[in-house]
Amino acid sequence: MIVLGIDTSGYVNAVGISDGAKVLADESFPARTDSLEQIVDNIDTTLKKAGLSLKEVEGIGVGLGPGSWTGIKVGVTVGKMLAFSANKPVAGIPTLEVLAYVARGKSPLVCSVISAGIRDTINAGFYRSGVKEGDFFTGDTKDLAALIKEPTLLVGNNIESYREIIVKQKLSLENNINIMEALPSGGAVACLAAARLNQGKSDEPLSLTPLYLKESTAKVFVNKYKVK
Amino acid sequence: MLILGIETSCDETSAALVEDGKTILSSAIATQLDLLKKYGGVVPEVAARRHTELIGYVIKEALDTAGKTLDDVDAVAVTSRQGLIGCLMVGVAAAKTISYARQLPLIGLHHIEGHIFANILSNPDLPVPHICLTVSGGHNMLVQVKKNCKYKVLGSTLDDAAGEAFDKVAKFLGLDFPGGPVIDRLSKQGNRKAFTFPRPMIRSKELDFSFSGLKTSVINMFKEKIAHGEMLPLADIAASFQEAIVDVLVAKTLRAVEEHGSKVVGVTGGVSANSRLREVFAETCKKRGIKVFFPKLSLCTDNAAMIAAAGYARMLLGERSGLRLDVFPNTPLGG
Ligand SMILES: [Zn+2]
Repeated sequence: MIVLGIDTSGYVNAVGISDGAKVLADESFPARTDSLEQIVDNIDTTLKKAGLSLKEVEGIGVGLGPGSWTGIKVGVTVGKMLAFSANKPVAGIPTLEVLAYVARGKSPLVCSVISAGIRDTINAGFYRSGVKEGDFFTGDTKDLAALIKEPTLLVGNNIESYREIIVKQKLSLENNINIMEALPSGGAVACLAAARLNQGKSDEPLSLTPLYLKESTAKVFVNKYKVK
Repeated sequence: MLILGIETSCDETSAALVEDGKTILSSAIATQLDLLKKYGGVVPEVAARRHTELIGYVIKEALDTAGKTLDDVDAVAVTSRQGLIGCLMVGVAAAKTISYARQLPLIGLHHIEGHIFANILSNPDLPVPHICLTVSGGHNMLVQVKKNCKYKVLGSTLDDAAGEAFDKVAKFLGLDFPGGPVIDRLSKQGNRKAFTFPRPMIRSKELDFSFSGLKTSVINMFKEKIAHGEMLPLADIAASFQEAIVDVLVAKTLRAVEEHGSKVVGVTGGVSANSRLREVFAETCKKRGIKVFFPKLSLCTDNAAMIAAAGYARMLLGERSGLRLDVFPNTPLGG
């Protein structure tokens, strides 16, 4: 099954194509802060590089975030409207799962990390052998450090800095934390989506919405704008 | 030519199908009024998130209502200029994706041009050129509408738009949001001569507007009444305040008409639904032998049908936007 995967939650346009678990293309285009201008061009370029047309694509995968607010809105809208207007099944994939997939096989326990865009707040997800463990985490580094109890591979963007703060919080982890620098990958989104679509687990395209983990952000809005 | 119009520049998620720039086959609008009431106004990030949730459903609704599919659509028109950046992006992302997937021509439009076309769409006999007053919560300007989608902005607001003044005064008086329709309704029971509020810049030669001073004057008077423990004649305050706004809008528009030798006026945007504004415009214009046009009430507030109509006009001129279409939140009309 040929699947096109996109993820624009991380300040890049990640576009990839997979055939089952085999990655046919995995491109990462620098985007301006908003991802909007180039995204459709980037999809077209990636398809052409792989020698494919949109007609030959059998499914769509979309990274749902968390990540850049604006980026996710663009990616999810493009993903769902592509599925709707080209009449293809679609699967939404949390970007934390995408990062964990990029690091698969490198460590039994992987913790993917994405900045929440607010000072000292991060989103994270734990994956043991590719299977999600517990709920997604949103909080500060101190709370995340408390959750890490065994050797763990941290994966994400600018990951060295997270390792430093976490070790500072909990010195016992110094030798237990490894890191892997990674951005969301379109190829990984495509592989994960293909697996889901093969199991018949497609999403209703028009219902796809970004994954915002920050309850706190919604509360920030309410408190800031509440009519007094 | 069947055009799918998409408009998400502020707080309405909307899509419409319009045939040949004339016939509205469907106009789907999901209003975010629940959110607006909750937050007391538009919160850009909240509005943009809601657009992301609704955009697909609204487009499907427009297709289903018209009994059409994307196979029947010939082009996609979308608001890409002027509005809230995060909100504009959702509509443009949807439009360019459909354009790419279905190999359809795409055109990005200015939001205010859409409002001008709401009037042309409502009144097939509205001649071009004419002078247009666009007035809502987000914009308030006088525009010379020329042939071939050419525009000259003659004046605009230096501070609050009239619709914004309506909202702020209504909020202060403890009335519901949005303020325009509420004040319009309340004013019908009030005496519009009960209070004399200032008519800012009504005598100035400039064609610009300013409503901030008027708003402050109403609020100060209201505070004074409370301080003296007086009964509050809410309907009288509303009627007198509305009368001041209407007087300024009409006087300025007539000045523009005189200066530019036009005998035709179009009034458009959310505030053009105001019943007193329509009444005074109609009376005054009749006396002076000027023709005045208003959009259908359903086309006064933001909608995608007006965008489809404007898109059709530009398509006829041979204009197209590429798939790199981007958003420009602050580009002025004609810029
Ligand atoms: Zn508007």
